[in-house]
Amino acid sequence: MDNLFSLWASSGLGKMTPGQGLMILIGLLLLFLAIRKQFEPLLLVPIGFGGILANIPGAGLAYSAVENAILAADPALLAPLAQLLGVELADGSRALLDAYTASGAQVHLAVQQVVQDAGYSDGILYNFYTVAIASGVAPLVIFMGVGAMTDFGPLLANPRTLFLGAAAQFGIFATVLGAVGLTALGIMDFSIADAAAIGIIGGADGPTAIYVSSILAPDLLGAIAVAAYSYMALVPLIQPPIMRALTTAAERRIEMVQLRDVSSREKIVFPLVLLILVALLLPAAAPLLGMFCFGNLMKECGVVDRLSDTAQNALINITTIFLGLSVGSKLVADKFLDINTLGILGLGIVAFAIGTASGVLIAKLMNRLGKNPLNPLIGSAGVSAVPMAARVSNKVGLEANPHNFLLMHAMGPNVAGVIGSAVAAGVMISLVGG
Amino acid sequence: MQGTIVEQGVELMLYGMGTVAMFLAVLVVATTLMSRIVVRYFPEPQSSASTAIQKLRARTHPADDPNLVAVISAAIHRHRTGRK
Repeated sequence: MDNLFSLWASSGLGKMTPGQGLMILIGLLLLFLAIRKQFEPLLLVPIGFGGILANIPGAGLAYSAVENAILAADPALLAPLAQLLGVELADGSRALLDAYTASGAQVHLAVQQVVQDAGYSDGILYNFYTVAIASGVAPLVIFMGVGAMTDFGPLLANPRTLFLGAAAQFGIFATVLGAVGLTALGIMDFSIADAAAIGIIGGADGPTAIYVSSILAPDLLGAIAVAAYSYMALVPLIQPPIMRALTTAAERRIEMVQLRDVSSREKIVFPLVLLILVALLLPAAAPLLGMFCFGNLMKECGVVDRLSDTAQNALINITTIFLGLSVGSKLVADKFLDINTLGILGLGIVAFAIGTASGVLIAKLMNRLGKNPLNPLIGSAGVSAVPMAARVSNKVGLEANPHNFLLMHAMGPNVAGVIGSAVAAGVMISLVGG
Repeated sequence: MQGTIVEQGVELMLYGMGTVAMFLAVLVVATTLMSRIVVRYFPEPQSSASTAIQKLRARTHPADDPNLVAVISAAIHRHRTGRK
């Protein structure tokens, strides 16, 4: 009978907490959205699956060795740990974990040594997270791949569309205000660094959002990444109503001047110009934009096709797998199930809406002031989300005028949005993280 | 950055939005300038590229390829006879 009892206690069901059960359901929901509804499946499949793995009771895949040891609650091990941390053993494992987080480097080392000697090790998802995200590697490698897939041709043909990429970043900063507002009202509890990381969701750029939150708010990374990728998938639903509300039918029918041909020399020089400007003006954005420019130069220079091919296919795919699983590891119940997560999901969608609106409004203004006609619908593509946002502009344009193809025109603000959100990320990191 | 969290937020917004707008404005100027310089002083070597293409075309002109001609005529023949 005792044996049966211990078998039950060591089974997943016996150890499952309600929070873990709920998180596994959320993981399944993400998988459903990815597989059935095709919401950003390349990311939501690994994230959803990682989320389920992270919440398997007793497996501790997403925990560090120390967390695993404390949660395993072996009395023979807890006693020396409690002594090291200066906590009463009777206070429970939560007190031990809190004391560990608050303690200094020397205590950390001692605790890690004790835990290691007892044979505990980091969970595999924890290792993925450390290697892929905490080090900053995965988002940057993905950014390099995105650079290798980006064609700056439409942007070079009409550089003014860069302003639209800037305008749409207003969503980021408006959301920061929203987050600090909620904190000031006492509804949520975000620090300024948290608020900055949440705002980046409005940049509609997954790797950038993950990069910024891994630096400024690692605790919120799971919620921020899930919000960013879910809303990117929802771009075709979120944007069109806003675009229609802010433009007249006549404006949506505007046909734009055919773009000029851009020589390959211009395309080769552009990433270098961008890199030099970043180096001179905003070094904090150098990691993101540097990798982006490097990827783009590999594509455009035409002499390293093999490298460019790897960057935009094999390498980005491998990185995406580990990035997704690592983000999933942040979906453990005790870190994710929190009122702040709801706040992040709510603020994220507001960020998207404001970014779209400000892009469209500035595009209207540019249409009034400039001499060449400019269809305000391409303004919404300024929130990166390449190439989804540009396709949405094209689709809404075709509804108003079946002969109006805005896709290439919208690609300009679209890639400008990528640059814009990377610049915004650099500003956030240098102002808040420094 | 000092002050209450709202002040910090406003400050972040002003600095951030200002920097993004400034940076992209400078980029617009730099890009336009770069395009002008490249188009004006370093135009693509059109002539050599187009002659290369012509050479390529001359070598692989469809009518010169006996196999292709045979296949196409066979296909046309079959198409016509199939119709009847």
